[in-house]
Amino acid sequence: MSALQLRSALTPEERQQKQKLIVRDSLALLSLFAIVVVLFFITLFLFHSFSVHRQELAQRWRTRGEGALRAGKPIAAIDALRSALAYSPDDENLQIELAEALAAAGRTQEAVAYFNTLLDSRPGSGMINLQLARMASKQGEEAAALEYYQTALDGTWEGDGYIRRREVRLELAQYLIDRKRYDQAKNQLLIAAGNAPDDAGLEITMAALLEKAQDPGNALHLYKKAIQHRPVRIDALLGAGRTTYALGRYLPAKDFLERALNHPEFEKEPAGLQLQYRDMLSDADHILLLYPGPDRSVRDRAERILANRNTAQDRLASCLSTKNVMPPELQALNNQWQQIPATLRRLQLEQDPELEQKIMQLVYQTEEVTSQQCGTPTGNDALLLKIAKAPEAVEQR
Amino acid sequence: MTFPPVQETETAPQRIPTQAQLEKIAPTRDERLFLVLSIFIGVLSGLLVVSFRIAIEWIKILTLGSAPHAGQLRLLFVPAIAGLIVAALVQLAFPAARGSGVNQTKAALYIYNGYISFKTVIGKFITSALAIGSGHSLGPEDPSLQIGAGVASIVARRLNLSRQRLRLFAPIGAAAGLAAAFNAPISAILFVIEEVIGRWSAAVLGSVVLSAISSVVVARWFWGSEPIFRIPTVTLRDPRELIAYAVLGIVGGFAALVFSKALGYLRPRLRAMPKWTQYCQSGLAGLLVGMIGFFGFPQVMGPGYEVIDQAMHGQFAWKLLLVLALLKILATTLSFSSGTPGGMFAPTLFIGAMLGASVGSFEKLFFPHLTGTVGSYALVGMGVLFAGFLRAPLTSVFMVLEVSGNYSIILPVILANMIAYLLSRGLQPVPIFEVFTHQDGLALPSMEEIREESELHLEDALIPVQVPIVKGNQSIANAGEIVAATQAKAFLVSLWDGSWYALTTGELTSFSATLTPETPIEQALPPERLPLLFPDLPLDSALPYFPRWPLLPIMNRATKGTIEGIVTLEDVLQRYHKI
Repeated sequence: MSALQLRSALTPEERQQKQKLIVRDSLALLSLFAIVVVLFFITLFLFHSFSVHRQELAQRWRTRGEGALRAGKPIAAIDALRSALAYSPDDENLQIELAEALAAAGRTQEAVAYFNTLLDSRPGSGMINLQLARMASKQGEEAAALEYYQTALDGTWEGDGYIRRREVRLELAQYLIDRKRYDQAKNQLLIAAGNAPDDAGLEITMAALLEKAQDPGNALHLYKKAIQHRPVRIDALLGAGRTTYALGRYLPAKDFLERALNHPEFEKEPAGLQLQYRDMLSDADHILLLYPGPDRSVRDRAERILANRNTAQDRLASCLSTKNVMPPELQALNNQWQQIPATLRRLQLEQDPELEQKIMQLVYQTEEVTSQQCGTPTGNDALLLKIAKAPEAVEQR
Repeated sequence: MTFPPVQETETAPQRIPTQAQLEKIAPTRDERLFLVLSIFIGVLSGLLVVSFRIAIEWIKILTLGSAPHAGQLRLLFVPAIAGLIVAALVQLAFPAARGSGVNQTKAALYIYNGYISFKTVIGKFITSALAIGSGHSLGPEDPSLQIGAGVASIVARRLNLSRQRLRLFAPIGAAAGLAAAFNAPISAILFVIEEVIGRWSAAVLGSVVLSAISSVVVARWFWGSEPIFRIPTVTLRDPRELIAYAVLGIVGGFAALVFSKALGYLRPRLRAMPKWTQYCQSGLAGLLVGMIGFFGFPQVMGPGYEVIDQAMHGQFAWKLLLVLALLKILATTLSFSSGTPGGMFAPTLFIGAMLGASVGSFEKLFFPHLTGTVGSYALVGMGVLFAGFLRAPLTSVFMVLEVSGNYSIILPVILANMIAYLLSRGLQPVPIFEVFTHQDGLALPSMEEIREESELHLEDALIPVQVPIVKGNQSIANAGEIVAATQAKAFLVSLWDGSWYALTTGELTSFSATLTPETPIEQALPPERLPLLFPDLPLDSALPYFPRWPLLPIMNRATKGTIEGIVTLEDVLQRYHKI
């Protein structure tokens, strides 16, 4: 103030006025500052209460939306999730759930548009690509679906990426199986199996898919791994029985099926399936009784071969009797049988392993050719035909 | 629209000095207070705008529920009842709260010396919050602008600032209010310059920037730095997409025309109706808007930010987006024309976003090889309507850039906005704010005309040097001979230091009478010198000098001491007459 007084060329009255003005302005600014502080705290209070309420509303609508989605009410879910998003717009999971609800409600165009927009902002998102893959799958756009599935596999996942990628891979495998692209499905499943933890449930799931992908060998491998876990699961035993049976490995098939049938949970299986497995076990049993395996005694082998020869010759004769003109395949087969001695004794066979082998090959050939020429066989012929597909596998463990 | 008379600040002359006294005892006081108060105004406006938005949201939740959807009966009666209450408040208590707020702020600046009453601020806050929160198809930005301007006016009046300063505070507060509402300071500053002030003014720019920044800091402290809606990834990957953006510009231009025409048609007709109808017009408009919501489209109710957000993120199919845009035009026309307080910005952005997203979704559907995102189109669409309807082309471009934070969208934005702007100008020569001005019986300056005014410069009145030029060291006798030979009434004297003097024959005669003929002329001259003027300076910059000088030399900026020509008062006036 004194400096101002020294510099100014004002009258004493004006100086006094100036001092008063400075005091007045300072007070005005101070009161302005006080108003700002008070208003700030009022606004803060309002804002805080408003924010809390918004969070509550977001959670409330989210719960309703998710409930509706689970209950299969996608229309209600859309409204609820949209409301939730209005109060929590940055929640990615909510956005994805909304898009899912749109898709579930059949509003495919909106859902695709929504997912595409989400994808634009997060092009590497595994979840969004997976959803787009599902949508493309529903719309029959196979190429797009496969591309989205692959991007989903290569994409980013939050937290449980390892598990989610495996799930996507299994889903992709199922999609490929549905389209009979078995080799591609098998590749995906083998990758998934190679990276999967030793978990019985997971092994059974992947094995079942491998079975569908027409790869019983790898499926059996996984079923066997699942059987190692205790308690042994019925579906692992049934799967192992099924796959060994499909591979023509009737000896282990019999073991697995017997264990399965003795499993306490077998009775819980549907009656049709129970009957099917019992038939499989019965067939495996009979096949093992027919099959002249190398582990049998020489006498037993010779007796089985003689019996099989008779079955095959009867089948050929029966087949020939139905034909007016003998087809060349049957003619050739008949000629081959002519070269085998008509009367064979057990001892003769026991001493000639080469003849044993020759007869059994002719038996298998007869069953195969007659099944083509004269229809599906029954009884022992049917069992011999099964053996014919992979004779060496019958007793393979 | 009625405004209270301007009140002079000298209510207690004994205690508060008059402006003349203030000028004497504290000549720099206004200038210093101006900047400090700009910050205070920014902070206060920011806080008020945050509270305003919270109030709107609370009212919305309390009246329409947390998730309004079609078929709810409350959608029908809430906007109608709120409309009746708002209309009563406006008619009985807050007549100046009517309308958007932009023209009212301009009126405060140009007509009422920056005066906006405290009552108006309170009224605008309450009535707009009630109307917007209850579902009227209006936005909070323009009211925020007026609230900011009102805060500035109140603060400036309390500090007893000069009338000139008081006027300037209105745009400062307006920028603060708009910046806080938009969370975008650059757009707010540009809008105030484009639409309120009309031209760049160095006197006010610094304070406008300060207040806008202060208010945005406050708003962001509460809302965060994110824009009002989430901005998706914005890209332009394929130049062929510019065709689609051009189409969007055309669509936006026509939509702006439809919107303007609808408002221009309905608003004056409703205003011309008997006085008693003013009490129920808002209620009726609310009922009609509520019906749109009730029968399937609640998205058009209120400002619709969350719907803009949803559209940007591809949540709607293109047909629905188009329907929403058309219904929003209808709903906003009804709400605004009925005199319900509330702004046009949010509806404009809504319509633009819907149209943009519609074009974008259409493109995605039918031209999937083009990779532009729906969000990009929605964003550009907002700018398009802003340029076409509000006729603020510069703000429209910067608004999109600012809210998207992405420079790569500049090409589509400029292209589409300019197409919409030019189309709208061609089809509707009078901008919408001017239409409202005329309807309200005011004569505010046209910002578009001000922007495009071609200013005259000195070069426009310049004539070649036809008067003698003498050196300062030449004698009086010599100069006299030269002047006598040319019969000029005045001539230029070039002095040794590069300065000039315009000497009249009268002065020369008096020198001859009092000094010897050999005296160098520079010794006879008084100390004052001719001003230094250049051809590019405004023509009126010469006017203050003519009472003293008979002619003024116009100098070349590149070559010191070189005269481009001269101007006389007669030349300047003649040039003005030619306009």
